Order: sequence, then C-alpha cells, then structure tokens
Amino acid sequence: MGKNVKRIQLPRRFSIDEVPGLFDEIKGVQKDTPLEIDFRDMADFDSSSIAFFNYLKKNYPHLTFTNVQPELKKILSLFSIGKDTGDPSDSRVSMAERLQAVGGKVIKFEEILKGFLVLLADEISYTFQYLLKRRGVYPGEIFNQIYFMGYNSFPIVSVIVFLIGVTISITSAEQLRDFGADIYLADLVGFGMVRELVPLMTGIILAGKVGASITAEISSMKVLEEVDALKTMGLIPEKFLMVPRLIAISLVIPLLVVLADLIGIFGGVLVAYIVSGIPPDLFFREMFTVVGLSDFFIGLMKTLVFGWIVVISSGFKGFSVERGAVGVGIATTESVVLSISLIIASDCVFALILY
Amino acid sequence: MKEIVGVKNLHVGYGDYVVLKDLNFAINLEEITVIVGKSGCGKSTVLKSLIGLLPPISGEIFFRGEKMDYLSETSLQTLYKQIGVLYQNSALLNSLTLYENIALPIKMRHPDLPAAIEREMVNTRLSQVGLLENRDKFPAELSGGMKKRAALARAIILDPAIIFCDEPSSGLDPITAGGLDELMLNLKEFFGLTFVVVTHELRSIEKIADNVLVLDNGGLHYFGPYRDLFTLKDRFIDTFFLKDINDDYKRTKI
Ligand SMILES: Nc1ncnc2c1ncn2[C@@H]1O[C@H](COP(=O)(O)OP(=O)(O)OP(=O)(O)O)[C@@H](O)[C@H]1O
Ligand SMILES: [Mg+2]
Repeated sequence: MGKNVKRIQLPRRFSIDEVPGLFDEIKGVQKDTPLEIDFRDMADFDSSSIAFFNYLKKNYPHLTFTNVQPELKKILSLFSIGKDTGDPSDSRVSMAERLQAVGGKVIKFEEILKGFLVLLADEISYTFQYLLKRRGVYPGEIFNQIYFMGYNSFPIVSVIVFLIGVTISITSAEQLRDFGADIYLADLVGFGMVRELVPLMTGIILAGKVGASITAEISSMKVLEEVDALKTMGLIPEKFLMVPRLIAISLVIPLLVVLADLIGIFGGVLVAYIVSGIPPDLFFREMFTVVGLSDFFIGLMKTLVFGWIVVISSGFKGFSVERGAVGVGIATTESVVLSISLIIASDCVFALILY
Repeated sequence: MKEIVGVKNLHVGYGDYVVLKDLNFAINLEEITVIVGKSGCGKSTVLKSLIGLLPPISGEIFFRGEKMDYLSETSLQTLYKQIGVLYQNSALLNSLTLYENIALPIKMRHPDLPAAIEREMVNTRLSQVGLLENRDKFPAELSGGMKKRAALARAIILDPAIIFCDEPSSGLDPITAGGLDELMLNLKEFFGLTFVVVTHELRSIEKIADNVLVLDNGGLHYFGPYRDLFTLKDRFIDTFFLKDINDDYKRTKI
C-alpha cells in the first residue's frame, strides 16, 4: 500500500476547454494508482466533464470522488452508459464491410453466375407462360415499357452510331487511300456497322440507359417492401416486373437495329462522298456485294441477346439488394458494369462461333 | 373460438442471427391480436414469418391446421389467397394511381371480373378509407397517412380471412387513426375478419385488442387477453402501457 495517492482538485469551472489539460495530467498516472478527485470547488461543468469522469471510472479501479454534491450524483448516474461498448468500428478500415452491409451479402463470382442463370431460366419460362396464358403481368405494362425504352434509347443510339460511322470512315478512308482502295470503305463501314458496332453500341447504351433504370426501380421497390407486397398478393415479382420488360426490349430492339444500321451507314456514306468523293450509289452497290441480309440478321440476333443480358443482369442486381437506400445506388452501378462485361464477353463468343 | 394461425416453438431471424426464440401462440378467427414491443424487438420479423416471406429458423407455423411449407409454392399460394398485408412502408406501387393500386389484386387474380363490378368494389373501399377524391393521384402525391389508408384498402379488397398490419396508425392524427380502428372493428364484427396488428398506439390497443402479444428480450413476454394484462402487475408491461411511471422517470421530470 506504499503507493502515493494522486489527488486532483477540480477547478471552479471544469468544462470542455479545461478537460484536455486535466486529461493530459492524468494520462501519465499509472492505472493502479489510487486516484482521488475532489469536487469541492467545482461549480460549472458540462457533458464533456461527465464523459471525463466516466472515463476515469472505467480506467482507474482505485478511484474515489470526494465532496460530490447530491445534485451532481444524480446527473452522473443519468449519464452512465452501463456497459462498455468498446471503440466504434473505423469506417476507413471497414468500408467494404459497410458497403456490403447496405448492399447485401458478399457475393462470390460462382454465386453471381448461378443466380444469373437461374433467373434467366425462370424468365424464359415466365415469358412463355405469359405468351400462352396472358396472366401475371399488369395490363398495358408492356406498352408502357416499349414507350419508355424507345424514348430512352432511340435518340442517343442514333447520335452515337452516326458519330461512330463518321469516325471509322474518316480514320479508314485515309488508310485505304494509300492503297488506292478507297471504294472498299463501303465494305468496311457496312460490314463493321451491321455486324459489330451497331449491336455492341446499342447493347452498351441500353445497359446505361435502360438497365440502370430497371435496377434502380426494382431495387427501390425491394427496399420499400413493394416486392414483398407483390408476393403476398399472390403474384410472382420476377414475372410481374420482368416479363413486360423482356417482351418490350425484344420488340424495341429490331426497330432500334434497323434505325441504327441506317444511320451508321449514312455516316459512312457522307464521309465517303465528302472525303473520298465516292458517290452514294457506288457506295451501296459495293457494300451490298459484301453485306447481305444474313449479316443484318446476325447483327439483330446479337443485339437481342445483348438486350436480354441487360434486362436479366439489371433485374438480377435489383432483386439482390437487401435493404437501405445506399444499396440502390450500389446495385445500379454494379448492374451497368455487369451488363457491359457480359455483353463484351458474349460478343467475343459470337465472334469465335460466327467466323 | 377457432384457431386460424398456430405457432409452435418458433425461432425467427436472419441467417444465423436469431431475433426471437421459442414463440408459442395462437391467433383465433374473428379476433384482433395486437403485437407490441420495443422498437427493434422483432415485431416486423415475426410478421414476415407469419405471412410466408421469411422462413423460420426452426419451429412450425400452422395455417388453418395445415403446417406451412415455405419451400412449396402451392402452400404459399394457399396462404396468400387468404391473407391481406398492410406493410410498414405502405408499399404501394409508385407507377400506378391510387385507384389502380387498390384494383391491382382484383385485376391480377380475377381478370375476368367485369370492369363495372371492379369499379364498385374499389370505390367502396376507397370511400371506407376516405380517399375517394384522391383516387387518381399517384402514391408520391399522397401524405404518409393517406398511403397507409390506401394500403389498408388494398389489403382488404379481396376479403381475406386474416389481415396483418404493421403499424397501421403510426404517423396518423388521432382522428384518422380512430377512424382506422373503427373500420377494423366493423370489418371484424360484420364480416368476421381476423386481424394481427403491430402497433404502439395505446389508445388504439385499448380500443381494438382482444389479445395481446408482448415481445421483449428476444422472446415472448406475455400472450393472452388484453383485459388480463394489468392484473399481472408485471413491471415491463406496466411501464410499457404507462400504467406505472417508473421512479427514474419521475425524478428526471422535475
Ligand atoms: N433484413 C434484415 N437482415 C438482418 N437483420 C435484420 C433485418 N431486418 C431487421 N433486422 C434486425 O432484426 C431486429 C428486429 O427488427 P424488426 O424490424 O423486426 O423490429 P421491429 O420490432 O419491427 O421494430 P420497429 O418497431 O422499429 O419497426 C433488429 O435488430 C434489426 O436490426
Ligand atoms: Mg417494424
């Protein structure tokens, strides 16, 4: 017991400005030193001083408070937490965990693939069921979706494919001129647009415009219990929400592809005429020696596959949100990334199969 | 008194996280059972299990004597045909008008019903909840209380045998809340509907409750008739229902 008692006389005013000084003074004191805090002079205090007393209580087992007014005692008891809850977690360290807490569980790649394929299989069967029985989908919803998707994608797809048509023609025209092969610009633009660039660009734009909004809508419905409400009304949310979108995209894409093919090639014709002086009739005559109807259908089929990839990926991400508004934002960006990755991967598969 | 829902040794929660354990209770036809408990104690969680959305961790739920199978689509569909649910967030579809929201269950489940009959049914429910004038508005244009009332109208539109309500009157003024209580009592009395209601509103509990289910501390604290509640002299219950303002509270009040 030979230890010295450390006595501390609290000042008259002991509040947030005085706490750091005293804290520094006490920090050097060994934890097992008997500590005596004298409250006699203290008249003014605030919640930081109370936090300071609570800190002392937790850290110094041999602590005594002397000359405490009864009034203060009551206040101290009101401010005690009871159990020590430890340090709060550090957001910088656990950001990933937190994102997962709001955005759902940690999902492994195999699980994503499995979930995606299961949803795809379900959707194919729901779509056929609907086409046969005409039930389980809100009347008029398919038309709404066609309007919405068309409205969202036609203008932007037109502008982008036109610019791409112009860009590749300008870039290639120069190269071809060096070989005196100007006229082959028609083949290059026609074939490249119809088979490759129109499907790819359309798919990517659909991922950004249509897919993102599908995920945002479905995930917020999930968060706001609307998906649960559909279930307990005896409906299948994966059918009610997804089938109209799948049918709509399957109907919108053919129109979109025809439009995009025409506009993209028009960009090429324009450049060919202005830069290389190739008249349009010559351009088309040359183009049709290489580009046939089958190429148009291959391009269309690829775009349809990309469209389905977009809708299924977006729905998949939307339905897998657990809770919280933050989850909606995360799911939306993830759905765009997933759609674009799958589009490019399957484009590669198409290239391998078709050439 | 016939049992409609029976619960045996039920453990509910999310994944490995058990929210409530060892629940045993029964809900009888034509009675109003009120679920109370502190915020976060698991009221919505039990409700989710009772309506087939959250498979129990263990234990059993019987619906009209049949054991519920959460993996069987037919078992769930049988359940869904007989229940109505009023969600805590109202959960109206934002892309549809109020009228269309309430007509949705009819349109989807009975597409062959003549439109004129559908209109009658929907309008009746809309006026019962006092929303007839607002029927062409979208949910985003309604106040929280209006959405709650619309959601109740949707829940009862197909005359389910039992209706589950998660905080129907939170956020409502006393007069509107009183109107909802009145509506529930009438539906019970005249149409023989059964209700399970999660609520914190003491006035409402006093008015509508036949039975009370008190949840606390991860389990069932009390289940039985409302009228016996205060004969128990139970500290938690008395505090919860403000029958006894505890000492700490008195002291801090001065
Ligand atoms: N989807 C979920 N995943 C994991 N835990 C959840 C989930 N939903 C709720 N919980 C947790 O389960 C517990 C019970 O939540 P619940 O929503 O059932 O409470 P409640 O009694 O309805 O509360 P309130 O009165 O505030 O609505 C809480 O601790 C909550 O954090
Ligand atoms: Mg709740």
